[in-house]
Amino acid sequence: MDSIRVQVAKELQKGDIGSNTECPYHPCHFSGQNCSFCYCPFYPCMDPDLGYNVKSRKGKDVWSCEDCLFIHRNDVVAFVMQRAKELGLEAGDPRFISEVLPEAKRRFFHLGKAIMVVGATSDAGKSVTVAALCRILHRMGYIVAPFKSQNMSLNSRVTPKGAEIAMIQVLQSQAAGMRNPNEHMNPILMKPKGNTMSQVIVEGKPVGDFSAQDYYNEFVPKEGVEAVRRNIDFLKKRCDFVVMEGAGSPAEINIYDKEIANMKAAEIADADCILVVNVKWGGSFAYALGTVKLIPEKDRKRIKGIILNNIEGNIDYFMPGAKELERLCGIPVIGVIPHLDVDLPSEDSEAFRRANVRGNGKLRIAVVRFPRISNFTDLDPLSAEDCTVIFADKPEQILRADAVVLPGTKNTIDDLQWMRDNGIADALAHVKGKVPILGICGGYQMMGKVLHDPNGIEGKAPGDYPGLGLFDNESYWKDYSKVVRRDRAEMIDGGGEVEGYEIHMGLSDVKEKPLFKITDRGREGETEGSVREDEMLFGTYMHGALDRPAFRRKFISMIRHDGESAAPEPPVDYGDVVEEALDELADGFEAHLDMDKFKEIAGVPR
Amino acid sequence: MTARSVLFLGTSSDCGKTTIDALFCRWLKRKGVKVAPFKASNLSLNSWVTEDGREIGMGQAFQAWAAGTDPTGDMNPVLMKPAGNGRMQIMLRGRPLMDVSYNDDYKEKVMPDVCASYDHLREEYEAVVCEGSGSPAEINLMARDIANVGMMRARHIPCVLVGDIERGGVFAAIYGTWLIIPDDLKPLMKGFIINRFRGDGSILGPGIEQIEKLTGMKFLGTVPFEPLKFPEEDSLSTADGGIGKGDVHQEFLRNLDSLLDNAEKSGVDFEGIWDIAGTSD
Repeated sequence: MDSIRVQVAKELQKGDIGSNTECPYHPCHFSGQNCSFCYCPFYPCMDPDLGYNVKSRKGKDVWSCEDCLFIHRNDVVAFVMQRAKELGLEAGDPRFISEVLPEAKRRFFHLGKAIMVVGATSDAGKSVTVAALCRILHRMGYIVAPFKSQNMSLNSRVTPKGAEIAMIQVLQSQAAGMRNPNEHMNPILMKPKGNTMSQVIVEGKPVGDFSAQDYYNEFVPKEGVEAVRRNIDFLKKRCDFVVMEGAGSPAEINIYDKEIANMKAAEIADADCILVVNVKWGGSFAYALGTVKLIPEKDRKRIKGIILNNIEGNIDYFMPGAKELERLCGIPVIGVIPHLDVDLPSEDSEAFRRANVRGNGKLRIAVVRFPRISNFTDLDPLSAEDCTVIFADKPEQILRADAVVLPGTKNTIDDLQWMRDNGIADALAHVKGKVPILGICGGYQMMGKVLHDPNGIEGKAPGDYPGLGLFDNESYWKDYSKVVRRDRAEMIDGGGEVEGYEIHMGLSDVKEKPLFKITDRGREGETEGSVREDEMLFGTYMHGALDRPAFRRKFISMIRHDGESAAPEPPVDYGDVVEEALDELADGFEAHLDMDKFKEIAGVPR
Repeated sequence: MTARSVLFLGTSSDCGKTTIDALFCRWLKRKGVKVAPFKASNLSLNSWVTEDGREIGMGQAFQAWAAGTDPTGDMNPVLMKPAGNGRMQIMLRGRPLMDVSYNDDYKEKVMPDVCASYDHLREEYEAVVCEGSGSPAEINLMARDIANVGMMRARHIPCVLVGDIERGGVFAAIYGTWLIIPDDLKPLMKGFIINRFRGDGSILGPGIEQIEKLTGMKFLGTVPFEPLKFPEEDSLSTADGGIGKGDVHQEFLRNLDSLLDNAEKSGVDFEGIWDIAGTSD
């Protein structure tokens, strides 16, 4: 406590310094944060609106304010500095907590406003709309968080605290200017397992496998509703705006009272809603009108605006129809958005299903399209290079490629069998040593010699399954447990830093030269991955290993195209590419949204 | 006796109208009914040339084969062929008529020929199975619509609406389309079909009942999700040419037959559609 007091004394002396961009950790909470009170004059405030108790290593309660953003608001800092001066307070004065904090809370603490984006269909453009609105509000200087109560997706990421959430909420959190995505942003994640079951992950931790029926009849009414309420409240206490995303259509009248991804979540959050319709397939006016009219009146009142999205061609021809739609729905059309060609990570499984090829570069990289493929966003950074990524499900596509990637899968053993049945495994044996092969997560496990599944956790039946034998590694599924963690590492050959995250059932006994050296504090000396440089074989558990330039450069430098080495262009950091794309997306929306109407719906002061 | 007629409308492009039209043609063929397909206007780059040298949309050629008849120019009187730069070539009854831009209104010019083609087919066949184009509920295009409300108004054809459940929002799409159809034409909206369905049909029950109650349209079944190896005729889709090695027609018909068997198994009410076709003027 004394050390905090010393720091707070220094901070009071320095006064309001705004953002400290010199700090190596900046921004530790959100970009634009006020850093004057890196150490809080109210600590420990014991205010449940701002923090909570956690257990120390010795089992004692310790007050945690790591998620508190209140003291990083400009208005709060200015007020606290001024009151400290007026009252002549020194660091540690109890009046900080007894007088200044309550007054500051009265003036500046408020619950954030929730806005929800619902879509007339899947793939209506909800996710990008949420990302765009997050960025727009963030650029206005507000503290913003995204939220999706329930996401069904095989693309997930691991937060800094080790929680697994959907990839798209991580991207939206970046759009909102948040440094650290958290489990509150996607309290329920469902990962389909290929049969009729889904693994259900609540607040970042797996709770079990459910059938659709059990999920809706047992999980949703109790834990589901509570999880939504708890996490929405958490975010509303910390942010000015929570931009929520619905799932599918909110007008599925056959399950309307059972689901918690759309209007029920809006009700819990007291959110005003914006309906997004994808115009591309035609029938958009009917989809919009039908959606509005099928939603029961008590919920329909929440829908305050309609966005017609993804229009190709001249949007002027669309305007008379938009006017008539306003009249029919009684709801304003607040945006007519043209098709925006912004390159952001691909989340939607429908968008993915329809696209076999991404990018248009010289190097042809075949990514094996497993039936249960997961985390295929790992490959997005290759589109920042001179590559064409081909999602391949035929052996010919492997034989013609300049490099092959075996991506992640929700079921390593079944997908390995699939690869044997359709001849891709033979094609891989044929190209081995001729082109680089990279296995990630499940694909990496497959590259080993044996897959031991004595309890039938991964495969259909217990047994030892032969792997592709590209590496001598052996993998084991001994119990129903899952590794979920973030890794910082560097290339073992000194090529530079990499960063990523692991999400896997099953562990590997590695018998190859490692690819990476872990640099995380407390895990020094650990290594990760496998490499046989002379055979151009690479394997890693780390998703996102291609995001930073070091490993991507290494992998691409091995690729020969028609006998020529592919000298990579100066490498870019994929994070910067995404950052620019998010700004472009927000610019596109700002140009075509009726911003006055949007601000009115959001409750932004004009 | 005049031929029976039915018009399949869709809630969006690519919702499966073409396939369902072909399935019904096939069903009638099996029943021994002399049947022709008809699509008043079609936007497509894939075309077929008939025996007498008329160019029509590929979709109608395949539907004709499904019906066990030869394709003719009347089966697709207006074919729009995108020519790039916002321009299209208009083929009328299989012969080039003129080039137009996407926003030109040429309905007046072609409608008499379109109706003549339709009437001609009804004289020659016992049934005409019509297909709409895109969604009939494009408010901004409705005044110059030919294949949907255009034909409904000109010839009072009873309609079956096809909704695609794959993307979600199918109840909203069906209800919204019905709402936007002009009131004087609503009595022609007789039934609806849910296409591309997977899983257990019983979960749709409450939604279907509500749509029947709200619109008075009759539910005519769910068509299981199953890709038809069909040359994509929609200008938005890309064909992957997955026809296989055999004779294209035979391959297509084999595939269509198995799809029809499955559609019947899953309870598509073809008899109901036939009854609806019997209400045509």
